Amino acid sequence: MAATKTLRSLLQELRSASPKGCIKNSLAARYILAQYKKYSTTDLQLCKARDEALFLGQTYLTYLSSLRKYNELYKDYHGRGERSVKETADLVGFKLPTDPK
Amino acid sequence: MNNLYKLLRKPATTLFGVAQSMPKRFYAAPPKRFYKKTSVLYNDGKYEVTLDSRKLKTPNGTLFTVKSEPLAIAVATEFDAQKEHIERSKMHLSALCFTALDNPNRHTKTDMVNYILNYIATDTILFQYDDEKELHDLQRTEWDPIIQWFNERYGTNLEKTMVMSPPNVSADDKAKVSKYLLSHSEDVLFGFIYAVDTLKSVLLAFAAIDQRLSVDKAAALSRLEEEYQAKFWGRVEWAHDLSQQELQARLAASVLFVHLNRSEHFVKEKLIV
Repeated sequence: MAATKTLRSLLQELRSASPKGCIKNSLAARYILAQYKKYSTTDLQLCKARDEALFLGQTYLTYLSSLRKYNELYKDYHGRGERSVKETADLVGFKLPTDPK
Repeated sequence: MNNLYKLLRKPATTLFGVAQSMPKRFYAAPPKRFYKKTSVLYNDGKYEVTLDSRKLKTPNGTLFTVKSEPLAIAVATEFDAQKEHIERSKMHLSALCFTALDNPNRHTKTDMVNYILNYIATDTILFQYDDEKELHDLQRTEWDPIIQWFNERYGTNLEKTMVMSPPNVSADDKAKVSKYLLSHSEDVLFGFIYAVDTLKSVLLAFAAIDQRLSVDKAAALSRLEEEYQAKFWGRVEWAHDLSQQELQARLAASVLFVHLNRSEHFVKEKLIV
């Protein structure tokens, strides 16, 4: 159950990370789906730790989602240089002499 | 003569031109995205990343090669996720691979192990504070189990400190941790150092890599006091949330890097002739 949930969110993140918003030909999506099918009954194959595949999936999910959130915050707040007179006036609720009353 | 005068005058005017527009700061522009499609190649037992028809190279100019397929796919995906510019400061997984390949500071394996060993004495979760009861309760319930787990897992005898003086790390403890670290290959150690540097804690980094803690939880434990103080003083998105997301992304990159570079992921299949 947890694996299916992780898979869905991973595909969602990959979709939002790709520039065209489409993961039909994405290598990562294909690889993750193949891993999901391979370990769908158990991931106790190949002498791995318990739930290792799930752990890696969740870690990659954290990586993608944290980067996305970081970029969103960065875009909102990073400095864009000095504000223009109009922007400053708007900020404090003043009008420019040229604006209609 | 007239020409010479012109030549002399020209630089002076451009100099003034620069001086007048001083308030603008000049940063190096990030390179533009020059490729459309990224892909992965398998060559000579190693995986390479291609950008259109070109092969990806490290900043040092060597060819980018990794032993693990998922890591190559993740790097290719990261390059594909760049929009108009290639923002290298936000590509932690690729940056970690590049550092491991180029080794810009020429670290040897012993250097890296010593760096981690010396970090133990300044580990975040070994320094606790009992003047404020609520904070100390939080530290006891959240951090102490990790210290206990580490001591059991690695056979060490680390103890927390409540004062300014650093905790006592015996030579025996160091020997045990260094034996574990030396059993890894060099590139895996870059991942360990990256995790330790991000979390400011060796114990939490080991717990995250050993799957004892999830990445978000390890990041939260590393920021325990900040979160506690933010409850009283307020939380601002552009500082606290930003640093939290960055910490999580960096830690996730290093945990992935360590796991995907460990030998257990390379399955050798028998050739059927």
